[in-house]
Amino acid sequence: MRGIAVAAPGERTARAGRGLLARIGSAMRSPAHVSVFGMLAGLAGLAWAAADVQAADELNLYSHRQPFLIEPFLEAFTGETGIKVNVVYASKGLAQRLQAEGKNSPADVVLTVDIGRLAIYADKDLLAPVESTVLTEAVPAHLREPDGRWFALSKRARVIAVSRDRVPAGAIETYEDLADPEWEGRICTRPGSQVYNRALMASMIAAHGEEKAEEWATGLVANLARRPQGNDRAQVKAIYEGLCDVVIINSYYYGKLASSDIEEQRAWAAAMTMVFPNQDDRGTHINISGGGVAKYSRNKETAVVFLEFLTREAAQLLYGTVNYEYPVNPAVAPAPEVAAWGAFKEDSLPIVRIAELAPTAQRVIDRTGW
Amino acid sequence: MVSHTATLAHRAVLAWSNRWSLLALLLALIMVAPILSVVAAATGDSEGLWAHLFATVLPRYVANTLALMAGVGGLSLVLGVSTAWVVTRYEFPGRRVLEWMLVLPFAVPAYLIAYVYTDFLDYAGPVQGALRDAFGWQTRRDYWFPEIRSMGGAIVVMGAVLYPYVYMMARTAFKLTPHTLFEIARVHDRGLFRTVGLPLARPAIAAGLALVLMETVSDFGTVDYFALETLTLGIFNVWLGMNSLPAAAQIASLGFLFVIAMLVLELMSRRRRRYVDTGRRMRSLARLRAGPAGSAACLAVCLLPVTVGFFIPVGVLLSFVVKGYALPDYGDVLIVTLNSVVVALAVAALVMAAATLMVVTVAYRPSRPLTVLAGIASSGYAFPGTILAIGVVTFAGAVDRGLDGLISGVMGLSFDGFLTGGIGLVLFACMVRFQAIGYGSLTSGMNRLPRNVVSAGRVLGLSLPANLVRVILPLLGTSFLAGGLLVFVDVMKELPMTLLLRPFGFDTLATHLYQYAKDELLEQAAVPALLIVLAGTGPVILMNEALRRLGEGRAGSR
Repeated sequence: MRGIAVAAPGERTARAGRGLLARIGSAMRSPAHVSVFGMLAGLAGLAWAAADVQAADELNLYSHRQPFLIEPFLEAFTGETGIKVNVVYASKGLAQRLQAEGKNSPADVVLTVDIGRLAIYADKDLLAPVESTVLTEAVPAHLREPDGRWFALSKRARVIAVSRDRVPAGAIETYEDLADPEWEGRICTRPGSQVYNRALMASMIAAHGEEKAEEWATGLVANLARRPQGNDRAQVKAIYEGLCDVVIINSYYYGKLASSDIEEQRAWAAAMTMVFPNQDDRGTHINISGGGVAKYSRNKETAVVFLEFLTREAAQLLYGTVNYEYPVNPAVAPAPEVAAWGAFKEDSLPIVRIAELAPTAQRVIDRTGW
Repeated sequence: MVSHTATLAHRAVLAWSNRWSLLALLLALIMVAPILSVVAAATGDSEGLWAHLFATVLPRYVANTLALMAGVGGLSLVLGVSTAWVVTRYEFPGRRVLEWMLVLPFAVPAYLIAYVYTDFLDYAGPVQGALRDAFGWQTRRDYWFPEIRSMGGAIVVMGAVLYPYVYMMARTAFKLTPHTLFEIARVHDRGLFRTVGLPLARPAIAAGLALVLMETVSDFGTVDYFALETLTLGIFNVWLGMNSLPAAAQIASLGFLFVIAMLVLELMSRRRRRYVDTGRRMRSLARLRAGPAGSAACLAVCLLPVTVGFFIPVGVLLSFVVKGYALPDYGDVLIVTLNSVVVALAVAALVMAAATLMVVTVAYRPSRPLTVLAGIASSGYAFPGTILAIGVVTFAGAVDRGLDGLISGVMGLSFDGFLTGGIGLVLFACMVRFQAIGYGSLTSGMNRLPRNVVSAGRVLGLSLPANLVRVILPLLGTSFLAGGLLVFVDVMKELPMTLLLRPFGFDTLATHLYQYAKDELLEQAAVPALLIVLAGTGPVILMNEALRRLGEGRAGSR
């Protein structure tokens, strides 16, 4: 559309000219020419219409979190500071985009879910080190990068969900139990290569070493009731359907299903009980959502203000009410929605180990066919 | 026009076509660049990952990919060719309506239909619910029901929305086959379909099949949703799981080679034949009136794919809306719809202009490098969208950096880069991806044009552009329209590239839908999902109208 608009004035100018311009002008006599020239002019014009010029009181966000999940945070932030936040959301490839854009990138802040994705930005040297006592006080040391290039902002536990009717309390208490032949044909999971399972695999490697962890994965795969498939919701649904008795999910899915507007989904949640594994040893494996400041941000101060905002009480509680996640800030109690599930001991392994072990974990997953 | 001697005119034509070749070459180079940057990424060090991949998952990836390609390709051929033949050959009640309805599934994105069928066919869905009620079964363990999240399920849902590529190409070809040829077969008492219809439609059917296969190889949404371990899923596991973009790009290039190998095979097997219309008075084959039993059979053949590929998915989405699960903000949805339509229109225009330029120059001034480049430039479709998008953004970033160096170094001005992060990049990426469709539909149209039409124009002293406007384009009108509309509908459905490359705050229907669909919350996004389908339906009907007129108005137009 734009191509035509750009081409039309070009045509008049060309005709008025002499020499080369006149020749282009005569070439414009046919519609086909206009379309070709229009196309080229249009491409140039559109490229020019690119990258919005950023106002000083705006912040540009690259997000791996879905817009409808971060919208409440942005509204609160804009309400408090008057700073508008622009978002690009994509689930994959934003790190490559940021890298390709280099120092021309408009991004100020990167937000991700899963530590693996967050660490990739640091690995590629796309994040700026941040010095902020607000952040270092709010985020425990094992949940942030030592140089301040990324910070965890919320936590989710990888829990075991069991059938309320078919699995007695205490029958399964650890991740290790999942490999016990007792559960043959009764376990369902999503594919091992899914980020949260890969992270769980990495935590098993951290706890037991690669060899033992691989034995565990082999045992788990042997116990599966069906080929790994679906997301975490689908696993809970499979308990409801009677297909499986034991599944692995992220804690927030239980909250989402139990409070769903859709009656059927509440029934799925009612069919399960949540088990926080490994309470007697290292604790339940957790994953995080987190963020950092883009290396070439022209707005670093505001970017830090935004990250700080996310670690304060109001926003930390919002993680619970919006998405049933746990706060990272030890000074903030979990929101009532998640506090109801009870306190639990979490694995305090430096979260960066999970990211470091992810490639090894993927190899184990490939070998065991999880 | 012919005001000078023939030699002068000839020289003018040469000069013109040279300039056009240059332009085409330049454009082809720009469009090949993102593909090259994927290939360049593949030359990076994959740190011995291949040994691991060979020993573990790669055989499975390859086997699954081949099975999926064979299945979806086979199903698309069967559905597409049979329905195309039935609506061209027979007259039966409802034929006119079905003729365009058969194209409708094309408007349904594969990732959408995969989701919808899972909901429809799984335990809690209406089908199993009804079965349980009817037979008194209590739990899932009481009976067997086919698993939708499986290879078979993926073949069915993808075949059901991709067969229209084959259907449209085959139907046009059947219609354009002169009835005189069929009469020869009739005289010799041979089957019309096997001896004339199918062989003459083969290039067109192959072109349609090529699009189906490219889309199958590059699909991520469906295989991810069904957890099928194909090459595409492997690409993402290697890239995101093992942090190795080089290895991911290498696997992507492997999938790309699959497709290229197949295309080359098909081309070689018909290298020595040319398929050209020579008849003057071309009337299509007259339709046979089918009897009651025949009509019922025809109806069944045509209704099956439309029901599976269109009515059921749309019905399920509508039921979400009716049940009140959909929570649309109509203001947002309006803007988002507008974005989708504008992007789709712009890309369709860009692709058809680029394809025309390339197809015509390749036909007029065939030079080896240009032919090869134009071919490669129209194969971006075989890469998964996200991988191609990375190729595009890498290329754009490099250009930006180059310009930056030039502008700040030579002119001393500061430059912020304008290629990345703008809507222009989304358009360019879509153009690279969907060039295959524009180029494919125009090439198959062009190959049907007798060479002497072009030569006649030359003898008359028409320059290449004049020839293009006055002779070629009118003859290619339907191919042009069909290609443009196919691109439009495909861009409406396009997700991964728009998602990754779009500017801040820019949503299309597909990206808007994705944030919910990703979390298996499609119920809440049923309205944008329906709008994608609806927006595709209009062009589909328009396209059919054009094809119909082609079949019936042909005798008079020549």
